[in-house]
Amino acid sequence: MDKLAERLRHDAEQIDVTISTELDGRIRASLHGVKPESQTPIRSMSRSSTFWWASSLTGVAIAFALVVVLNLKSPESTPVASNAATIPLVLPTVKWNVRTAVLTSSLEQEFDDLAADLKKAEQVLKEDIDAVF
Amino acid sequence: MSSEAALIDAAKRGSTTAFADLVRAYREGLLRFLLTRTLSYADAEDALQDTLINAYRYLHSYDSRWRFSTWLYRIAINNAAKLRQATTVELSDLSSDESDPLEQCIAASERENLWVTARRLLNDDVYTAMWLRYIEDMSVKDISAVLERSVSWTKVNLLRARRILNAELNRESDTNKSKAYG
Repeated sequence: MDKLAERLRHDAEQIDVTISTELDGRIRASLHGVKPESQTPIRSMSRSSTFWWASSLTGVAIAFALVVVLNLKSPESTPVASNAATIPLVLPTVKWNVRTAVLTSSLEQEFDDLAADLKKAEQVLKEDIDAVF
Repeated sequence: MSSEAALIDAAKRGSTTAFADLVRAYREGLLRFLLTRTLSYADAEDALQDTLINAYRYLHSYDSRWRFSTWLYRIAINNAAKLRQATTVELSDLSSDESDPLEQCIAASERENLWVTARRLLNDDVYTAMWLRYIEDMSVKDISAVLERSVSWTKVNLLRARRILNAELNRESDTNKSKAYG
């Protein structure tokens, strides 16, 4: 075990906690009042077929009444904009501060170097992770 | 069937005694962890009680492919977060405060407890990942399941946290050396 792990364990042990008899009693008492979910009996939901027919027919009747009421309403005329205001189109001008890249070698070479650097960094990180875990 | 599996089975059938026996080994560790995640000792106790009640209530949803402690810690973290949502005080604000429950449960020492330092320097998830790794001996895969993060996130952040805490240890030993040599 390394120094850090040892110290973390040691320091965690320094955190002094105890399950008091009062807490133990509280936990036990509340456990007795709880029923595991799967054990909760599912209430019987069986209803007579008349009930389902009655509710379905009521639903259909309400839908029909709604359609009738909506169709009885006179159609509203859609307001048409007469004098649409013309908005002047002003495009902001952007001042670009462009600098030319100073390349010490060809762009391809720069790119290859960058890729090699990234690969190297990735390798180092991977080695670090593998060494620890 | 292992004794733990037998106890889980019995608890699933409604035995509170089996459940009490099952969680006995985890209670103290959970309370210690919750103490570092809540704002008072009473909150930590409440979070522990809620955790155990929820675990018992939803035991049927426990997947035996995972360690029981992994599942228990997932519930505990949720409960601690719920309790903290009710207040505006941040855990990191407590570090210098005398009312910090964690500080109160640590015997007086010349140096700062590394878990107090960790709480100051690491964010919640990374702190929890370190605790699960070094105190609960959880695998990286289990930690990522508890935190609902990817395995690579867990690995990278554990490594970063190690570097941060190692740097802190080195700083501490340098200070001690300079004190010793005057």
